[in-house]
Amino acid sequence: MLKRLMPVAAALLLSTAAYAQKPGGRANVVIQPEPPGLMVGIIQNGPTQMVAGNIYEGLLRYDPQLKPLPQLAKSWTISDDGLTYTFKLQSGVKWHDGKPFSSADVVFSANVFLRETHARLRASLAYVDTITAPDAETVVFKLKQPFGPFIGIFEVGTMPMVPKHIYEGTDFKANPANNTPIGTGPFKFKEWVKGSHILLVKNTDYYEPGKPLLDEIYWHVIPDAAARSVAYETGKVDILPGGSIENFDVGRVSKLKNTCSTDKGWEFFGPHSWLWLNNRQGPTADKRFRQAVMHAMDRKFALDALWNGFGKVAGSPVSSSTKFFTDKVKAYDYDPAKAKALLKEMGYKGETVRLLPLPYGETWQRWAEAVKQNLIDVGIKVEMVSTDVAGWNQKVADWDYDMAFTYLYQYGDPALGVSRNYVSSNIAKGSPWNNVEGYSNPAVDDLFAKGAATAKADERQDAYTKVQQILTEDVPVAWLLELGFPTIHRCSIKNLVTTGIGVNDGFKDAWIEN
Amino acid sequence: MEFWKRFSRHRGAVIGLVFLLLIVAIAVLTPMLFPSSPWRMVQRPFLPPFTMDRFPLGTDALGRDVLAGLAYGAQVSLIIGLISTAAALLIGIPIGLIAGYFGGLVDDVLMRFTEFFQTVPSFALAIVLVAIFQPSIVSIIAAIGIVSWPPVARLVRAEVLSLRSREYVEAAILSGQTNTTIILRQILPNTLSPIIVLASLMVATAILLESSLSFMGLGDPNLMSWGYMIGAARTVIRQAWWLSFFPGVAILLTVLALNLIGEGLNDALNPRLSRKGK
Amino acid sequence: MIGFILARLGKSAAILVAIVALNFLLIHAAPGDPAAVMAGEAGASDEKFLAQLRTQFGLDKSLPEQMALYMKGVLTLDLGYSYRQQMPVADLIFSRLPATLLLTFSAFAISLVLGTLAGVLASARVGSWADTLISTAALIFYATPLFWVALMAVILFSVTLDWLPGFGYETVGAGYTGLRRVLDIAEHLILPALTLGLFFMAVYMRMTRASMLEVRGLDFVKTARAKGLAPRTILWRHVFRNAMLPIVTLAGLQAGQLVGGAVLTETVFAWPGIGRLMFEALAQRDYNLLLGIFFISAAMVLLFNLITDVAYRVVDPRIRAS
Repeated sequence: MLKRLMPVAAALLLSTAAYAQKPGGRANVVIQPEPPGLMVGIIQNGPTQMVAGNIYEGLLRYDPQLKPLPQLAKSWTISDDGLTYTFKLQSGVKWHDGKPFSSADVVFSANVFLRETHARLRASLAYVDTITAPDAETVVFKLKQPFGPFIGIFEVGTMPMVPKHIYEGTDFKANPANNTPIGTGPFKFKEWVKGSHILLVKNTDYYEPGKPLLDEIYWHVIPDAAARSVAYETGKVDILPGGSIENFDVGRVSKLKNTCSTDKGWEFFGPHSWLWLNNRQGPTADKRFRQAVMHAMDRKFALDALWNGFGKVAGSPVSSSTKFFTDKVKAYDYDPAKAKALLKEMGYKGETVRLLPLPYGETWQRWAEAVKQNLIDVGIKVEMVSTDVAGWNQKVADWDYDMAFTYLYQYGDPALGVSRNYVSSNIAKGSPWNNVEGYSNPAVDDLFAKGAATAKADERQDAYTKVQQILTEDVPVAWLLELGFPTIHRCSIKNLVTTGIGVNDGFKDAWIEN
Repeated sequence: MEFWKRFSRHRGAVIGLVFLLLIVAIAVLTPMLFPSSPWRMVQRPFLPPFTMDRFPLGTDALGRDVLAGLAYGAQVSLIIGLISTAAALLIGIPIGLIAGYFGGLVDDVLMRFTEFFQTVPSFALAIVLVAIFQPSIVSIIAAIGIVSWPPVARLVRAEVLSLRSREYVEAAILSGQTNTTIILRQILPNTLSPIIVLASLMVATAILLESSLSFMGLGDPNLMSWGYMIGAARTVIRQAWWLSFFPGVAILLTVLALNLIGEGLNDALNPRLSRKGK
Repeated sequence: MIGFILARLGKSAAILVAIVALNFLLIHAAPGDPAAVMAGEAGASDEKFLAQLRTQFGLDKSLPEQMALYMKGVLTLDLGYSYRQQMPVADLIFSRLPATLLLTFSAFAISLVLGTLAGVLASARVGSWADTLISTAALIFYATPLFWVALMAVILFSVTLDWLPGFGYETVGAGYTGLRRVLDIAEHLILPALTLGLFFMAVYMRMTRASMLEVRGLDFVKTARAKGLAPRTILWRHVFRNAMLPIVTLAGLQAGQLVGGAVLTETVFAWPGIGRLMFEALAQRDYNLLLGIFFISAAMVLLFNLITDVAYRVVDPRIRAS
């Protein structure tokens, strides 16, 4: 029955390298944009997770290879049939208000609270039959059927633990406690001056001995990208999480004195970018046109000129940091001549296609301009449509586009973050994150279903390899890059990024060297 | 010619006119001078100015020719400046004429309407309008027109009020001419001088407004405008000063030229009304 | 006078209601809604999540119903709740208003004082090098894109010379209190206030100069001169006083625009004011917040117009006739 057991000692081993760790000090970090709230059980956007990852915790963390690490659960076992997951919790854990944390909180969080509020987790919890707490330090998840990625859904952003004693029986979204978040994490919420900063302070009662090391974390709200660079240069902030300054500034800023940068800490998310191509109508409905688009784009140029070489040209619908990626697929080189030949073969007559850039700042705008020019160069007529985030969401969700830039997270597993964009059961208006392109292929549907419905790694790999091969032939969307978001920080700040979730995983290991 | 004599007495105005004509010439000749699109990536990114003869002003973040961008930007700035001013005149003149000529309740209603538009901060309103109708050349022109017409209406109304009691207007009314005829034949031509002066200044303001909108990311994505160039250059201002410097200078000089011309026109057309157009 | 004020207040209230109504319709005409934006930021959602948000925000009601509710709120001075910031709109606005008022009033004061002085100076010595210099400077300031100057100023004074902070309202986390804090804020204020003031300064310079020149040619000044009064007395007592009238009008108009007029400056300098809040609210389709900001800024404009008119009536009884 006991297949794997992760003893606490192994977790401690991971941090022994840091014998010279020095406690104290303050981390000044950029937060962009200002989060709408910090209750990560209710709001799951990037900035919320980044701050709340220090306040709240999940049962597990994941290393850069996406292997589970202990957090609130000190050990866990998975039954051989892949249906029963048993977690042993840490002892002596307290909520920030002093109340003890127990298995009842876990059951409440997963079974009641998050089922109500967390859209992404809700989909995974559909596989769960029961969640029970045999004793105060044990939680058992029983599944209805095997679900391959199940062990990958326990990090803080996906399944944060929320306090039962505060939320039970209340209207979760209207609970005033959302403004003063209470978690079990290494840092406590202290104050939030809207438009200016959020202050977190050290949780002195934290259950891991010697952690956290920092005294406080200031999250600075600076709405202008150029101003964020200046803030780093003038020493007001010391940490620029990925995406907080414009990519054009990354090269310059990361060369500054005492400055380190890393593109690690995004393995779990595997941000993958592509162009939605409307498979329903117009020239984009023709496979040859879509393949021509792949050949027309100079993606290496975009990687170097716009993304400072951070990231990779995407070869498949699955990110290379996500499980079950394969490179044994049809490759698309930058080859305008081939693109022109494909267009000629299909008889493209110069119909105008509308291109919708992603309204996330200058890099994306420039990228859309470069792609537009690439397409014009092979003879495609392109009209760029400009819009803001709300307009983009609506146009994409209503299928009112021909080509649209996007990028999405993969959450470590094709069943969590890839299949949603290609299976035909996910074709529905109203969401910009499902199968927006309208691609429908029964073989692909079957393979994705097969890959998710087993916990056996080799069977899963087999299904996902096949699916990647079919998709790269059909090109339902035009993959662009696996994005790299470098975290830039003063070199004196150590152990900032230690897991595959990076800065979103809290700063409990971080410390400052004098 | 009397007009030209008075205009040319204003030295700045002549310089401004020469400069503006130069810009117009560039805008007209651009397709011949730069046959390839300003969006084409032609050289390595961030080529500094004065290093390559073929690209004297260097290249931008994607390796696009800055000089070609400036030339195409002249087209866009002038077109947007002129058309949106025309739009503002088309809204403002009729409202001012009607309000001033008919007076009474009509005047009251129209002036409340005008006041209404002056009460909302104009740049904020322009931003909202463009964002709501999605950035495109049409929405930008419309937004600039909508926020700039109230001063026109007020100016025209004031002019009409002073003309209304003139003898020749009274005579026209007595001779039984229709209101439309009187407004178009007798009144409108006599309000033209201050309108022309105001219009020249409005073109300048419109160019500034367009560049501000583009700077906020609300420009037409298919048009290479000066405001767009600065907006796009703002994030790279420290590694590539020339990207924001040259278009900034282009805007400055063009707006300056238009203002100088406005002053010259003011001196030439209505020395008496030297303050009204502001 | 009280009757006049009451009448004007009534009219202003009517305009205000009309503005709120128009803005309401305008904003709801924009594509997308706050629920979609918030779901978009989360990067994943389903129908249930969106429906929950829409119910929570009251967006599931019909548009006329929403509008009636909103108008009812406004009439009782309740500006509603910000979806995105999870705070009452009034609290949000009043927490940001001081920053904007500080910035714009400083800019306004600087430009008014310096602009008028330079204008008087230029007009006193028409054709001199000082006049040429001032007039040229005014022309250039008037023609320069504000955001461009702002960027150049940050580069020069903040990055290159490191004399002044380039953004923000105060040094966050420094924990300054009392005078130290005031000085800290003042330091942050210099660049944005000067940049924003530059354009207004040009306007006042040009207006003062033109107005001074015009008044100087009027009969009563000639009379004063004929009476043999000292040039200095004539300049300040007679010319300046009368030349100020149009400037007061303009200042009154501009003071009203202070709240909404600083979007660009606040954006470049990351000044935590109303202008920036407005732009964010727009992008996030935070309807209530955006409407609230428009309401407040329009109310300010009307208030200042009223104050200007009342001041005028007090100062110059002739106006009553027209």
